[in-house]
Amino acid sequence: MATASFETYIDGRSRIHSWTPRLKLISLVLLMFAFAAIKHLSLVIPMLGVTAMMYALSGLPLSFLLKRLRYPGLFILMVVLVLPFGSGETVLAQWGPLALRQEGLMTMVLVVARFVSILTLGFILLGTTPFLTLLRAMRSLGLPTLLADMTLLTYRYLFETADMLSTMQRSMHLRGFGHRNRWLRLNGRTLSQLAGLLGTLLIRSYERSERVYKAMLLRGYGQLQSSQLAAHQPADRTSLVLTSLCVMAAIGFVITELTFLLK
Amino acid sequence: MHIPDGIVPAQVCLAGYGLTGFFTWYSLRQIDKQGNPGPQIPKASLLTAAFFVASSIYIPIPPASVHLLLNGLLGVVLGYFSFPAIVIGLFFQALIVGHGGLTTLGVNATMMGVPALLSYHIFQLRFLVDRKNPQRPVLLGIFAFLGGFIGLALSALIFMGIVIATVPADFNAGTEQTAIVTLTLMHIPLAILEGGFTAMLVIFLQRVKPELLTGR
Repeated sequence: MATASFETYIDGRSRIHSWTPRLKLISLVLLMFAFAAIKHLSLVIPMLGVTAMMYALSGLPLSFLLKRLRYPGLFILMVVLVLPFGSGETVLAQWGPLALRQEGLMTMVLVVARFVSILTLGFILLGTTPFLTLLRAMRSLGLPTLLADMTLLTYRYLFETADMLSTMQRSMHLRGFGHRNRWLRLNGRTLSQLAGLLGTLLIRSYERSERVYKAMLLRGYGQLQSSQLAAHQPADRTSLVLTSLCVMAAIGFVITELTFLLK
Repeated sequence: MHIPDGIVPAQVCLAGYGLTGFFTWYSLRQIDKQGNPGPQIPKASLLTAAFFVASSIYIPIPPASVHLLLNGLLGVVLGYFSFPAIVIGLFFQALIVGHGGLTTLGVNATMMGVPALLSYHIFQLRFLVDRKNPQRPVLLGIFAFLGGFIGLALSALIFMGIVIATVPADFNAGTEQTAIVTLTLMHIPLAILEGGFTAMLVIFLQRVKPELLTGR
């Protein structure tokens, strides 16, 4: 598994950093959905503009975004690269059997622009909000306790479990697993050995969870009264301004898109 | 087999979130009915972490990636907890590796979570077949295979349905049909593989740690 650092938060003092988490979450998610609704090519430039402005406001380094976009970007490129050649009727250029088509090219530009914008907004959210703060904001917006608890616990044990798996894989390898041929030939035996590996991982996680639960009970898990949940942080003026700007931008994009659609 | 951000229209994303909200509510209600969920929460969480780790080894070969999806197995082992587990797993996958996306989280969760719930129910059918001894290895194997097979097959069908209905702008009908048939055929061996793997794993668990399977 890719052991990329999980905590994407980058400390900073920008306006986006100090934006009230609840409002930030609502505004950015709303904007992401408005972007997902864009179908008209002329809205691509404003969309990229808003995204770039938000990123500049967040004060996050450009390298952070580029590093984070690399893998998903590669994936989407592989998905959309067929579009300019397979879809549409207007042929722009022809190389033998390969024809570059206008409609496909336009769809590709649209998909890539939407993808980059939505992802960038997501990274702004994660880069300027510590994970636990984000979870608390989601909790205050009505995320069920069970989901919040499960998310926290999964988060807590994710990397330890990944380490456990890689230790187990290493010991399997040392005992001769996968030595015969580099590309594991898929036969029943290999499959059952892999099933054993995953099964052992599940059993170890299960046994650990029993110990974790006992420890949690001893520390008073399940006794928390709802009134003990942190009171909402009051929103300051900058947060309100940012939120209203985002909401207006989102509504603006949707309305413009609709007018294009109705034309 | 994840749908990334920016590919499907906003209506589909919203519908996905709506369905995910509904199935999460349904799953949580069923969990509540089973009594005190306290001890189950750490179990489900750590197993979610384990599933996440185990399924994050993938090779992206668009439009699908070849790796074990494990959603059928998740349903078989976690029962109603499998739906929240999938939501959480996908959330982390979008955050850590950028696989899937935040706007498409609902679509992806429905695509993998509903088949997982179905796999759970299929696996429970073994109690109907043999009331006296439902934990016989043969029976466990058959129903686990079905669970794993249907988990992947149904997810693949939903995935292809969404991709074909939303992505291509003006592909001609012939190309589209060939693509559908090829992709469907491509997924049959994968579903068999997934089913076989699930069966082997369930039999292994039954031999080594049976309470993991009989918890409910």
